[in-house]
Amino acid sequence: MLPSRARKLPLVLVALAAFGLPLVVTSATYLHILILLFLYAYLTTSWNLVGGFAGVLPLGHAAFVGIGAYTSTILSLQYGVSPWIGMFAGALIAAVVGVIIGLPTFKMRGAYFALATIAFAEGIRVMFENIDHLGPFQINGPRGLQIPPLKTGLVHFMFADKEPYYYIILVMLAAVLALTWAISRSKLGFYLVAGGEEPEAAQALGVNVARAKLAAMAMSSFLTALAGTFWAQFTLYIHPKSVMSLDISFEIAFIALIGGRGSIAGPVLGALLLRPVSDFSRIYFGDTLPGLHLIIFGVVLVLVMLFQPRGLQEPLTRFYQQAMRRLSGGREAAP
Amino acid sequence: MLFIIEDTLNGILMGAIYGLAALGLTVIFGVLKVINFAHGSLLMVGMYVAYWAVLLTGVHPYLSLIVVVPVMFVFGYLLQDILIKPIFKSEKEVREPITVIIVTTGVWYILDNLALLIFGPQYRNIQDNPLRGKMLEIGEMMVSVPKLWGFFTALATALLIYLFLQKTRMGRAVRATSLDRDAASLQGINQYRIYNIAFGLGTAVAGVAGVTLVPFYNIFPTVGVLFDIKCFIIVVLGGLGSIGGALLGGMIIGVIESVGPQFMTATWTEAIVYALFLAFLFLKPSGLFGVKYDW
Repeated sequence: MLPSRARKLPLVLVALAAFGLPLVVTSATYLHILILLFLYAYLTTSWNLVGGFAGVLPLGHAAFVGIGAYTSTILSLQYGVSPWIGMFAGALIAAVVGVIIGLPTFKMRGAYFALATIAFAEGIRVMFENIDHLGPFQINGPRGLQIPPLKTGLVHFMFADKEPYYYIILVMLAAVLALTWAISRSKLGFYLVAGGEEPEAAQALGVNVARAKLAAMAMSSFLTALAGTFWAQFTLYIHPKSVMSLDISFEIAFIALIGGRGSIAGPVLGALLLRPVSDFSRIYFGDTLPGLHLIIFGVVLVLVMLFQPRGLQEPLTRFYQQAMRRLSGGREAAP
Repeated sequence: MLFIIEDTLNGILMGAIYGLAALGLTVIFGVLKVINFAHGSLLMVGMYVAYWAVLLTGVHPYLSLIVVVPVMFVFGYLLQDILIKPIFKSEKEVREPITVIIVTTGVWYILDNLALLIFGPQYRNIQDNPLRGKMLEIGEMMVSVPKLWGFFTALATALLIYLFLQKTRMGRAVRATSLDRDAASLQGINQYRIYNIAFGLGTAVAGVAGVTLVPFYNIFPTVGVLFDIKCFIIVVLGGLGSIGGALLGGMIIGVIESVGPQFMTATWTEAIVYALFLAFLFLKPSGLFGVKYDW
């Protein structure tokens, strides 16, 4: 282990750099790319709570993005409720839904859980594409919902520039990382890891594995839905394909898996490495080589799974720790 | 009343083709105990192989089986040998490595987007083939001829696989591995070779399903996704690993899709299928004919 000062210093530097970045990056395009990068880092970190720590493979998280986006948007369009409040309303709904999915599926083998989450997410998307009204709520089917940019300002969660969005998602990311860190050191975190790796042994020691997984699922879906509202307010237009498509679910899972599931740094690392690939290949090769970034994602995913199944964070962490040890003059004893 | 019978009939025919596609998935699951998430993409590859074989030679669509089956078998064999075998070897103690799901999902994305890159997003179909648009009149009912061909192909394929598993020495080795891989290894069966063969077989069956679709279905890079999710649903419905269950599950889905639109918007039937799937997952995850041990 490294001394705590040597571990904290780089963190502080990274945080400072992240907060100062918009001063340097003034291009709207690059800021947009950075916002999406943080958004995905946030989404994958939320996914990681259940996909990483609980050792199952959820492949339908887009459903929660969609629930969050639609709830806050419907509330603000039809009832004038601030998206900030709608954000948490959506998150609560998502958490309940997450528990409902998890309740019967966590007892099953891994593949069933993955299948159930896919079917569930696709089912919700199909429903939203077919429904114009859900009771008093306007959904508009495949046309989706447009948010008219009338009132800007913090209260309305709507801004003319990209900088405020940047800071909001940055704070959200920092918060979710802190939460993950806290959970990973809490009893719940240990229960999750134990239940994910050795369910029978954990059960025998009196750990309620199913309940720990449900708690993780509830938190994960809650947090994912918050990002859905952010997405809606950032793009100001949502439709079932844009917030609930299978591709979103898979991209979240892929990024986390490549970065390293079950670790705190893994999902962020994955987003840092993969989001630029996806954005730049879309910008430069979008017309000539469609889908290139998904091929790259797939190839990287397969290679990582074959050679580095715990994700890229593992070799990088080792490398980093060695470098830090060398920097501190080799005074540290070998770990 | 008549049109409901007509729809049911056509639903059963189409459903048998779904079942045929799911058959490959169930064969792979039966032996490897993992779900191949790339199955729909393998079907898509089979469709493109058949499409080009028919287009370049101008033969009857079903003659393309001569090319499709061996090509797909080798493709599946190598896929398992190169990408999936290493995982089984490194995670020996895990009965159902989640890593395999992840790798096959990666393969799904690679194949779908490679097809998009190479063939473009356009819908292709074979306009002048002897089966396209043909209808058979039974009294006042119309039955699609290409789907009828698909139906009988599905039954024949299921029968052939059944015979292979029951009557041949290799089939017995496959069944032994599927029951208990360690015990089978102790009897001198090379379990990894059996995995390769099972995966090749499943992929070849996906190819056969592709051939039955080519005469009347559109071919496009993401066509596999439609079948992927349907195949998952079918195998869970019928019971993972069960050959008859795959066919029956397919027919159930086919009938829902074909009769449903008489009573509601066509897209709603899709939601009904998902709901049925979730209901089965929650209430009877072993499906109609599945073994309880397998879930």
